[in-house]
Amino acid sequence: MVLLLAIVTGLLGGLTWARWRKQPYRSPNLQHLWLAFVAFLPQFVVIFLPVTREILPDWLAAVLLIASQIMLLVFAWMNRHMIGMVILLCGAALNFTVMTANGGFMPINPQTASRLIPEEVLRDFPTGSRVGAKDILLHPQDTHFEWLADRFLPPIWFPYQVAFSLGDVFIALGIFWLLAKPQSSVQFTQKGISI
Amino acid sequence: MKNTFASLVFFAQKINRQHIQLALVILSLVALVLGTGAPLEGGGVGR
Repeated sequence: MVLLLAIVTGLLGGLTWARWRKQPYRSPNLQHLWLAFVAFLPQFVVIFLPVTREILPDWLAAVLLIASQIMLLVFAWMNRHMIGMVILLCGAALNFTVMTANGGFMPINPQTASRLIPEEVLRDFPTGSRVGAKDILLHPQDTHFEWLADRFLPPIWFPYQVAFSLGDVFIALGIFWLLAKPQSSVQFTQKGISI
Repeated sequence: MKNTFASLVFFAQKINRQHIQLALVILSLVALVLGTGAPLEGGGVGR
């Protein structure tokens, strides 16, 4: 939800900027769109399709999540000529690293999870069990790359509570930039990077 | 009935290739963001 909000605000920003300049909005010039849809299919099966979500064992869900993320990373890499996509690619790589290092799921420590899950419900989730769509409950000392895990929270008074990772921040910034400034490109040359 | 059909045709004519392209790009970005991001939201617990 929080990442979809970044898409909506980025798109609104881009449309407003285009109208301000009295030019038509031009969408990002993405290549190999089909790959994004194919890559998302395994996650659709694991997370969004109720029938398969209930019956798939955790190990298979982890394999499908990792396979899907590899394909999405390839898609982002193929479109790295845009600044927003480079930022997003960094975030995706960070999330991929921490998830792969922790059995295919995003680690979250019980203390962070307690801000999102009622105490009595959390008691039913032993350490190492899956919570939410992609997360796994792990103590910080048992977590690889703990600094990349879902460890950030909004202020307690904020009405919408969500735990997010450093990678999620990069992904949100990247997608916002991609849609707000779709024509800003980056070139990789032998001398370095030119924007 | 005739009016409804006429307005449908009118809207269909307004949808051009660029609109379809934009819709596909946004859908692919939604897939990319949902697929690579992993926030845990309050209330989204369990499987």
